[in-house]
Amino acid sequence: MTEDKIKNLLQEADRMAGLPAPVSVSLSAVVRRRAHRRRFVSLAAPLATAAVVLIAAGIWNLAIRTPGNTKIALLETQLKQLQVRTDAALNLIQEVLVEEQKQHSLDELEAQLASIPDPLEEIQKQVDKTAFILVYHADRLYRELNRTDSAVETYNRVIELFPQNRWAKVARQRLSEIEKQKI
Amino acid sequence: MADTIDDEHLVKQFNRGDESAFDRIVERYSSDIAALANRLLGWSGEVEDVTQDIFLAAFLGLKKFRCECSLKTWLFTITVNKCRSYRYKRILHRRRILQAADKAFLASAGTADKTPMDSETFESVRRAIQVLPAKYREPIVLRYLQELGTDEISRILGISKNTMQVRLNRARAHLREDLAELTKEKL
Repeated sequence: MTEDKIKNLLQEADRMAGLPAPVSVSLSAVVRRRAHRRRFVSLAAPLATAAVVLIAAGIWNLAIRTPGNTKIALLETQLKQLQVRTDAALNLIQEVLVEEQKQHSLDELEAQLASIPDPLEEIQKQVDKTAFILVYHADRLYRELNRTDSAVETYNRVIELFPQNRWAKVARQRLSEIEKQKI
Repeated sequence: MADTIDDEHLVKQFNRGDESAFDRIVERYSSDIAALANRLLGWSGEVEDVTQDIFLAAFLGLKKFRCECSLKTWLFTITVNKCRSYRYKRILHRRRILQAADKAFLASAGTADKTPMDSETFESVRRAIQVLPAKYREPIVLRYLQELGTDEISRILGISKNTMQVRLNRARAHLREDLAELTKEKL
């Protein structure tokens, strides 16, 4: 197999596969949100660790210097403080993670919502289809069955019901053709 | 050339703290990136997550970008790297992904009745590309499907031109072997 054959085969397969699904309009907004969250977590985690280490060092320092019961009481107080601060830091990280999860669900919902077809567009399609069917029907009446009066009536109905539609334009053209033929 | 200058301007704007420049970068390159990712992943059609990861990496790394190559080349490099790791993760869930891809393919094959290639041939080509090792698949995709020059491909892959040529030859040999039956029957 030549290089050209391989190339053609691959390009043909690529054409058949088509383009991937269009990228979401909000892609850059989603990326920016994710980047900011990641930066926040990457800052918060080392800060929390540093705070814990510093407090532990402080407690250790105090424990060495202070004798007897005072030392124990102080240790207990410091331990409680350490626990409170650690909990606060962990809660903060937890909140960020929960927020991220919520955002992810929200993004998924948005994507699902975006995939629902626009109802106005659907209605427009139906209108277009109906107008087309009427014109097609009138064309058959006029050209195949020779029922000009019924055809004129149907063309007029299309113009009346869907004046802005492209099939109304076709109906007008057909009516003028019929008029010309009568003359 | 105008695009390169404009890209430099956008990068500078972003580095000055104007994040709207990033929106324009995404707008300009997202479809190219998604198409390349799709090809590198063997036309799986599921590229939304990986595209998001690529642009996230670009957002976080744009401050380090020194404009030594074009922004597009830099983004393509990220795409190749992300697709490598994404593919590795995907291998772990291979069965599930392949089933989904098969379904997607069958659905698209049903509507694409006017395409010149039949679904069986397409499936064989897709499988041949998917089983190629990354180091062979990447030059093949960049060369034949993205139609990039040798300089740009070697820059994106971070390898010399000679290495790139060797890999391209070996990739062709692999494909020749895998698609031999197909060419006998179809071509």
